[in-house]
Amino acid sequence: MSSRSEFLERLEKWGYNLTKAVLELEEPVMEIPARTLSNTIWDEKAKMLKLGPEKMHRRFLDMKEARRFMQTVLMLRLIVEAIREDVYPTIRDLYYNGKHTIVFKDPLGRAHRENTWDEQDESNAVIEDIEVATNVLREEMGVSADVKGKIVGPIVVRSQGYELDASKFGETALSLPVNVDALEIVKVEAAYVLVVEKDAIFQRLVREKFWSQENAILVTAKGMPDRATRRFIRRLNEEYKLPVYVLTDGDPYGWYIYSVYKSGSIKLSYESERLATPEAKFLGLTATDIDAYKISDNYVIAATDRDVKRAQELLRYPWFQKSEWTKEINLFLKKKKKVEIEALSTHGLKFLHDYLRDKIRNKKFID
Amino acid sequence: MYSYEALPVAEWFRRNRELAGFHNSTRALYQTIRELVENSLDATETYGILPTIFLRVAVEDEQKSWVSVYAEDNGIGIPGNEIPNVFGRVFYSSKYRIKQHRGVFGLGLKMVVLYAQSTTNKPVLVRSATLKSDKIYEYQIMIDTNANSPIILDRREYPNKYRWHGTAVKVVLEGNWLGAKKRIEDYLRRTAIIAPYAEIVFKGPDMDLWLKRRTTKLPPAPKEGLPHPKSVDVDTIKQMLLDSRGMTLLEFLTENFDAVGEGTAKAFLEWAGFNPNAKATALTPEELVRLVEKMKQYEGWRRPRADWLSPVGGELLEIGAKAILGAEAVFAVTRKPESYGGHPFIVEAAVAWGGQIPPSDKPLLLRYANKIPLLYDEGADVARKVVDEFHWDNYKVKFPAPLAVIIHVCSTKIPYASAGKEAIAEVAEIEKEMRLALRDAAKKLRLYLSRKEKEMELFNKYITFAKYVDEIAHNLSVITRLEKSIIAQNLHKLIEKKLGTTVDELVKHTLSLTSASQQEEVTEAMAQ
Repeated sequence: MSSRSEFLERLEKWGYNLTKAVLELEEPVMEIPARTLSNTIWDEKAKMLKLGPEKMHRRFLDMKEARRFMQTVLMLRLIVEAIREDVYPTIRDLYYNGKHTIVFKDPLGRAHRENTWDEQDESNAVIEDIEVATNVLREEMGVSADVKGKIVGPIVVRSQGYELDASKFGETALSLPVNVDALEIVKVEAAYVLVVEKDAIFQRLVREKFWSQENAILVTAKGMPDRATRRFIRRLNEEYKLPVYVLTDGDPYGWYIYSVYKSGSIKLSYESERLATPEAKFLGLTATDIDAYKISDNYVIAATDRDVKRAQELLRYPWFQKSEWTKEINLFLKKKKKVEIEALSTHGLKFLHDYLRDKIRNKKFID
Repeated sequence: MYSYEALPVAEWFRRNRELAGFHNSTRALYQTIRELVENSLDATETYGILPTIFLRVAVEDEQKSWVSVYAEDNGIGIPGNEIPNVFGRVFYSSKYRIKQHRGVFGLGLKMVVLYAQSTTNKPVLVRSATLKSDKIYEYQIMIDTNANSPIILDRREYPNKYRWHGTAVKVVLEGNWLGAKKRIEDYLRRTAIIAPYAEIVFKGPDMDLWLKRRTTKLPPAPKEGLPHPKSVDVDTIKQMLLDSRGMTLLEFLTENFDAVGEGTAKAFLEWAGFNPNAKATALTPEELVRLVEKMKQYEGWRRPRADWLSPVGGELLEIGAKAILGAEAVFAVTRKPESYGGHPFIVEAAVAWGGQIPPSDKPLLLRYANKIPLLYDEGADVARKVVDEFHWDNYKVKFPAPLAVIIHVCSTKIPYASAGKEAIAEVAEIEKEMRLALRDAAKKLRLYLSRKEKEMELFNKYITFAKYVDEIAHNLSVITRLEKSIIAQNLHKLIEKKLGTTVDELVKHTLSLTSASQQEEVTEAMAQ
């Protein structure tokens, strides 16, 4: 593995090339692989999303790009400085470090004020741009993000010399660290990994000791998973061959979250090879479940226009174009009904356990 | 008008008071200022003298609302022996000639004297010296309204040590200063727009105005000429005949009318069925009426000449509008002469944009007839109609807009819509010329606005890039440890290369095009 100083060199080189163009009186242009749907390639064989060959050119002298150009250069400097000073900022630190007001006095003497960036989305986006343009991952830069992931189950890890047994957290859970690659997995005795979309369901399953009954590792990332959580699940699957099952709400947003664990995301398709778990299976909830498990109407929610639109988008994604999924999505579009995981309480609070066992034992999942 | 000669002046005054704009003490004061200013302008610019006019209004008796008006000019003056007749005899006038005047045969001046006399019973004080005169004459005059003759109350002579020339008049009249104040100010400002070569100083009880001379260029003076045969009426013909004893009809026509030679006169008389050798004075009243009718109908006359007209010209209109309206840009057009009913006329139009003109939902309209500002009855004026019907959106003007329109009609006879002489009537020929003049001026405005738009766009583009230069140069300099100032310099050069112009050029252009109101827009656009 390359050291941080080698990554620094790569980042500095990129910045130097831009400067060199300026010194030679040529317009500085950043070549950045496009992180767009059209440049996301579905690798059928690897079963994951990969970044295509399309490149966008961010020019300083383009009315629409000038601001982003400035933001990118600013972020590059923040990262380069962090590495030089040997500090490990979070993406939020970088947002605050770089946020200030540019005051420009024009030749007519009027002052124009503009913030370098307003929302963290803007600074996050240029970090990702720099990652793809320089081929240095955020983790390699030593830049971290909030990690939402936590686990419970028969697994022992070592962090900064301390051994932590994830089965001994009672009603709480072990929070995943920023850099899960630095986490040493000491011992795993689990039969499978169960990823739960929602924290509330995760906590219920912990309290009800579902994991110990099943000898499973429970994981949640509270919604859309962060990179660390996805990487950790990938390691469990790749290094310990543990089957991975995903449980989400029965709507297009839940289904997309599953696809992110399994195949990667559009925005971070360049990271799929590190983060995706192509072997992950989808347990539910599916559109079919509503009838198959006789979920009472009281638990069924009418789909909104936004849900319908999202479902139609999913239909167009190549990685959803397998018969099981098109069947589910079309059923959803036809009935315009969705269910949350909580809907399984239709048959009593314990029914969730029965449901999960039924799905796993009888292989009633979608691959 | 000549037919009134038989009437006692008192009766004539009673009948004409309203027509002449002396309805009430507000209008009367305004009208007095107007008559005096217009006489002063006629006595100066027409003779190649740059007008300098001093005006003062003072309250003489607050209880009775008597005010005095003093007006002094540097014009050609009035010969000493003529002063009593000019101020004290109504219808005192020289031979019938046409040219473009402000006043009509000095009648307005006599209305001023009569009105003052009838309200305060005070004489008019006149002091005058002609060019190179070694004496200054001073009179105090009243009018004997029964005998139509001047009463001289006082007469003095002074040595003219400093070769002063001009006329000074002081009248005391019943006048409502507070009521007339705003109109007087408007009138003087609008006069300054159309006559930027005049220096006008006004002192009032609570208003001082100093309208400075903005140029020393005078418009060419109008020539004096004979009327066109189509333009005369029966009364005028009668007046002309008084001076034509012994002339044949043929002689009468060739002597008294413009562009009528023997051939034209013969052809016309033959067509109209008159004997060219008949004595002109022997015409019966019926024959006279028929002659005038035929003169109006005949198509064989040459077109009326415009030599007797004195348009202001685009250059002066631009100077005046820029100075008085504080406009950022003015585009003026003087149309070619046209005629209606034998009367030549010229329409001039100017559009003034931006600067201190307040944006409003329709253009501010400034109307002029023979260089006289028209302030009342705007709604009845054909110019208002033309301006309102104009398709401004075809000329890049979106309301509210900082737009003023100046329309000037000069003619030997202005067709007024009403007796008050404050609005021009809907004469098809004039309306058409107004429309075309406005179109020509608006085309120039459109060109200016689109050029300005482009310059602004380019400047905004410049700012979009330039505002990031410092930030980018700083960051690149930290990353590469290269000199920041060189990076910044080169980034600026790249921007100039991209825009195809230097910053200095850009600033120069933008400055010349940017107005105060536009600046706010720019700042707002930048902030987004």
